[in-house]
Amino acid sequence: MKGTRTVLLVTLLPALAAGACSYFTKPEPYRPPASYRPLDAEGLALGQRLYQRDCSFCHGDDAGGTSNGPDLLTGENGPALTDFMLRTGRMPIDDPDEEVRPGDSPYDDEEIAALVGYIDQAFDQPGPGIPAVDLAAGDLTEGRDLYQEHCAACHAATGIGGAMLAQRAGREMAGIVIPDLAGAHPTEVGEAVRTGPDAMPVFGPGVVDDDQLNAIARYVEYLRKPDDRGGAPIGRIGPVAEGAVGWVLGLGTLILFIRWVGTKRGAQA
Amino acid sequence: MNQGRVRILAAFGASMLASIGLTVVYAVGGDPQIEGALLGVALGGIAVGLVLFGHHMLPGGQFVEPRDIVPHATAERPGVEAAFEAGVEPIERRRLIAAAFAASVGLLGIAALFPIRSLGSRPGRTLFRTEWRRGRRAVTDAGRPLRVDDLDLNSVVTVFPEGHEDAADSQTLLIRLPDGVTVPGPSNWSVNGVVAFSKVCTHAGCPVGLYQAETQELFCPCHQSTFSVPEGAKPTFGPATRPLPQLPIGLDDDGFVIALSDYTEPVGPGFWNRP
Amino acid sequence: MISRLARWIDDRIGGSAFAEQALSKIFPDHWSFMLGEIALYSFVVLVVTGIFLSFFFDPSVAETTYHGAYPPLQGTSMSEAYRSVVELSYDVRAGLVMRQAHHWAAIVFIAAIVVHLLRVFFTGAFRRPREINWIVGVTLLILAFFNGFTGYSLPDDLLSGTGLRIAYSIALSVPVIGTWMAFLIFGGEFPAEAIIPRLFVTHILIVPGAIVALISVHLALIWRQKHTDFPARGRREGNVVGPKLWPTYAAFSMGLFFAVSAVIMAMGGLVQVNPVWVYGPFRVSEVPSPAQPDWWLGWLEGALRIFPPWEARAFGHEIPNPFYPGVLVPTVTFGALYLWPFLEARFTGDRGPHHLLDRARDHPVRTAFGVTALSFFVLLQVAASNDLLAHRLDASVATISWTFRIVVPVVPPLLGYVTYRLMTALQASAAERFAELPLRAVLRPAGDGAKRPEVDVAGYAPSADGAELIVYREPDGRWRWCYRPLDNGVELRSNKSYVSQEAAEHAALRAYPDTPLARPAEASGSTSSGPRPTSG
Repeated sequence: MKGTRTVLLVTLLPALAAGACSYFTKPEPYRPPASYRPLDAEGLALGQRLYQRDCSFCHGDDAGGTSNGPDLLTGENGPALTDFMLRTGRMPIDDPDEEVRPGDSPYDDEEIAALVGYIDQAFDQPGPGIPAVDLAAGDLTEGRDLYQEHCAACHAATGIGGAMLAQRAGREMAGIVIPDLAGAHPTEVGEAVRTGPDAMPVFGPGVVDDDQLNAIARYVEYLRKPDDRGGAPIGRIGPVAEGAVGWVLGLGTLILFIRWVGTKRGAQA
Repeated sequence: MNQGRVRILAAFGASMLASIGLTVVYAVGGDPQIEGALLGVALGGIAVGLVLFGHHMLPGGQFVEPRDIVPHATAERPGVEAAFEAGVEPIERRRLIAAAFAASVGLLGIAALFPIRSLGSRPGRTLFRTEWRRGRRAVTDAGRPLRVDDLDLNSVVTVFPEGHEDAADSQTLLIRLPDGVTVPGPSNWSVNGVVAFSKVCTHAGCPVGLYQAETQELFCPCHQSTFSVPEGAKPTFGPATRPLPQLPIGLDDDGFVIALSDYTEPVGPGFWNRP
Repeated sequence: MISRLARWIDDRIGGSAFAEQALSKIFPDHWSFMLGEIALYSFVVLVVTGIFLSFFFDPSVAETTYHGAYPPLQGTSMSEAYRSVVELSYDVRAGLVMRQAHHWAAIVFIAAIVVHLLRVFFTGAFRRPREINWIVGVTLLILAFFNGFTGYSLPDDLLSGTGLRIAYSIALSVPVIGTWMAFLIFGGEFPAEAIIPRLFVTHILIVPGAIVALISVHLALIWRQKHTDFPARGRREGNVVGPKLWPTYAAFSMGLFFAVSAVIMAMGGLVQVNPVWVYGPFRVSEVPSPAQPDWWLGWLEGALRIFPPWEARAFGHEIPNPFYPGVLVPTVTFGALYLWPFLEARFTGDRGPHHLLDRARDHPVRTAFGVTALSFFVLLQVAASNDLLAHRLDASVATISWTFRIVVPVVPPLLGYVTYRLMTALQASAAERFAELPLRAVLRPAGDGAKRPEVDVAGYAPSADGAELIVYREPDGRWRWCYRPLDNGVELRSNKSYVSQEAAEHAALRAYPDTPLARPAEASGSTSSGPRPTSG
């Protein structure tokens, strides 16, 4: 009985604790929201300084691109995309071969605004401006419907993200990590939707209009703290976690129980 | 065994309290987590009480009883065989009658299988065709037709033939490729950089719902088949063996995207008589 | 009052002899023999919660609009089936607990069956005369798999609907008859409307009916053949040792029932499972990710994912890719499972009856095969999470899939070989447990002169036994016997009393043909009345 008790303490309590923790987690804090301040001369000068220091090596002095990095003059490049890349820490990267992934941004609000404004004004970017996402105007039901249609396949029904592949262009076995949407500020959501950064496709106004964008952002907001009416969400990854928990917590507890009930002596020589 | 008795009573007592708690919780509106916890105690208390009772208060010790290593009634087998033979022997003598009986039961059995056919429609050419026809507009599942300019570069949208927005086999991806990217195949099957491919995975039929915009690859979440659009949606990884069929598209007089014909091969997973 | 009722029934049916035999029936109580009971009681919970659910579920794919308590679905169009499940979860008191308990019960049910099967396999409990029960058990496993699949496909949500699409494609892939099979089962081209109502009838009537019938056969056979037991002091092929059914085993079994219910119902309220309101209603062109089925189909899903893009195409016909992992692998798996008792009997030449169990080391080949198969399926199971692993480990899905493509065929046979060596080493050594096994014994092949404990066909070395049989009379005039070790070990009493001394002696010698019947002069401190002559 003593051994059983020890096993119980060692396995079940941490499992229960982890389960309880997953149930009580708070939503991740927002990354700081984008700012819309128009730039004065000082801001533009700051932007130019930062651009020359951090960006021109890969993107070119004229933002026309180099062998190290793409241009900032075509496609969806504009304030929205620049702000998204800087705000989520995807840019700058130290090494041209480094993978682009979210992280902490080395810039503060003012510096980001300076860069965004400078690049747009100096290079006349074609892409969309920072969208004004209005959460209150977004319809939650419509947002859920649109999220399931456009977003769930990549970002998962619960917004936890996932993985897929990029096989072409000699990138054998290359994988793509699809990010978790927790911590994504509504404006960030709007920027990503409108500009399709990295592996993400573009959802322009012809496919998702502004009202629909508000709705999607509203639902993404909801996913930060969804109603887990059923109890501990165990990671929100679906049947895989459920099976594991069923075996360990369910069958595991019951096996401990029958070891208590029955005898343990097996075969003897 | 006083300590044992106390523990047993405590277990049953906890169970009783939990059951009362359950009725209260239910009456005030219910809460799944509290209900679950209380159910656990209510049932678990009885469980623990019973086992403690068995361990401490029921006659313990091991008993023994003999068992037949081999069932011992083999002596009766000749009797069984004789009894059975008594019924079979007359049948064996009357072979024609026996054969007629067997044939009537057999044929009835075969006839009884026929209603299985009523369970579904015949496959026929169903798997070889979708609802796409020449001139049918491509619409979103909300029924909205699309122009090329509705799509940005590197944009993907799922479309259906107009009037058939719930036709699972007809689901199609409209992809506006970035400048400079083309697909092999007939050039008149695409229009202004927009191409259309079937969304039904050729492996096991899941919608190929993920689009990798940097390399223009479609990725199926079910078994990770990857299709390279610039190579004609050819599978580049995963268990899929065939490319996604391409839908020939054009524009109608109002500039909306239309199909020029149905798919020229069956969409989706393979089957026995797929060419 | 109970005795009056019992007499009333006995006067009409007359089952006293059966009742006496039943109440004192022996059930060996090693804990691993209760795994099957966990499955049995999980099934009871499934039926009870399932009946509740069936009063609320609407097996219809007719379109409707949701107007319930879950805000993000408010006003969304969905099938009646999906709506009824979301409403049960959000708008019906205790509904969600019942629904989740039902799902957890299914998870525990199949898990318990698998562990029970492993226990039966590795201890050789499927050998003659229990081949029939093995076949019944494997069939129960298949039925449980199937009912689990139909069950979670009923809510018509996006995740399970995707699973149905894959099942349809696997049916399509069957040669010659595949398209007909798929169309007849589903009622037409996917997503045929008929599938949800058909799944409903299958899930609540046809398969549970078959399961109940087979469980009855399973239990009846155990009752008739009596349970197996591990070889130990006092155990023979010709006897069963353990507590009596009444009152001890009944109390324990009832306690286990309440424990199984407790764990399942507690999880039903505390841990979320299958939150269909998050997946959303099924839409033909949408798909969720990650997309895995419930755990018991994980091995099938893993096989589908890592199987290379091979398919056979010739003369205008093809056997498409999903057939090999989706149909061939399960067919071979269950075929091998069904045939195993007969294959083993044939290859070992051992066709005799066995009521005493093997330890894993006693049959190194069987154990090695079992470990190979088990590791194969576990690896496939893990392969089904290749996209989750890629996400967590920040690796490429392709790398992970390729790793499994190599590991799955290579590692299980390796593990099997290692197991074989370990088992033969254990057999040859005097060690009781792994921990006591010297490494040297593993590396050197078996048969190095180490001592092997003597075990004969009857199951235990009688010469080392040192016990005697005592027959004595009880105060009520009836006779009992007991098996008494001469070294003051645990005494085993007969489970019932007999009318005559001859009957008692006959039973004692049936249970212990090789143990001497004590002569009165040699009987040391017998429990009751005086001396009696022994028979030859």
